[in-house]
Amino acid sequence: MGKLTIGCFASLIGSMNLDFAVKLSGAALEKGHKVDLWVSGNATMLSIEKQREFKDYSSLEKPLKELMEKGLKVTACEACAEARGYHKENTMEGVQRFSMDWYLASTFDADRVLHIGGE
Amino acid sequence: MATTKLGFVVQRPPYKSENPKLALTHAIASQSVEIYLEDGDLVTADIAFVGDGVLNCKKDQKALETYGLSSTESHIKMSLLLDLNVLVCKEDLEKFGMTENDIVIDAEEFGAEVEVKVVPFDEISKMMEEMNHLLFF
Amino acid sequence: MKLVAFVSDYRMSVDTLDRLKPEKLGIILVQNGVYHATTKENGNPSSLLNYSADYFVLQEDLETRGYTSSDVDGKVKVISLGDVVDLIFNDYEKTAWL
Repeated sequence: MGKLTIGCFASLIGSMNLDFAVKLSGAALEKGHKVDLWVSGNATMLSIEKQREFKDYSSLEKPLKELMEKGLKVTACEACAEARGYHKENTMEGVQRFSMDWYLASTFDADRVLHIGGE
Repeated sequence: MATTKLGFVVQRPPYKSENPKLALTHAIASQSVEIYLEDGDLVTADIAFVGDGVLNCKKDQKALETYGLSSTESHIKMSLLLDLNVLVCKEDLEKFGMTENDIVIDAEEFGAEVEVKVVPFDEISKMMEEMNHLLFF
Repeated sequence: MKLVAFVSDYRMSVDTLDRLKPEKLGIILVQNGVYHATTKENGNPSSLLNYSADYFVLQEDLETRGYTSSDVDGKVKVISLGDVVDLIFNDYEKTAWL
């Protein structure tokens, strides 16, 4: 089995790219692969806890927590998060925060990298 | 000891989207990646500007003066200071009627020793072939 | 280079795909990229289907937009997310989200 590193830069609300990234992470985990998910730029919105569910907006907190229990490693860009007022205190449990070099380090031993840019 | 090579390909113009700048800041982060790796292991970053992305390289950007933001130009210069390989597509520059005189070429004021290379797309393709992974912005 | 490109838009704002010449190219249509597989303009299929490539479209993004497999151009194979994972790992070396 291999390792997939996914980087996503698009917002939780206003784009479906994060929905795709999280679903793909789940599909890869199901097949026994390791998955690292890096969220940067507007995608750091994914890291915030207590997202309220509305049917008109993407809501990924629940599936993300389920996937983290199955081994998904999620890391948010610390500077991108702080710039948006997302602090350690309101970061979802289990989500790490590091600087951008973490993403590059994750690619080091990744068999495949899927970088999903913003919009 | 192993090296993973990343190719950052910037296809879109600057400022309206954060992405071109994030391409540069992530590429620059290759300089501190060793803290996560075993001794001798490396992740390198090559950067290519193609299509509308070549507009990121226009010199004399005044983002700091107008919006209080560090310019994409300054990030390109920082990339040069850190010896990153920065390529700009020659055909795309020409498409916009631009020459090397219109873009950032060096960062002598910072003491950078490497320069931006304006190259045909074929050379950028070759770079992409040589990379382990590609990141399109 | 064996490259699989993800196309998530119907109107592309970049022309990178025109210029890449990988030894093997796969194109996976996701999100609004699925319209390339389902939609004809003035009777003509999308020009995106003219590359020398293997084409795939994500079933759930098709269905989200009101289409089924029967609406899909014959060049394009309908696949699941699990199939996307297998393509990434088994059939291609590099990915590109355009």
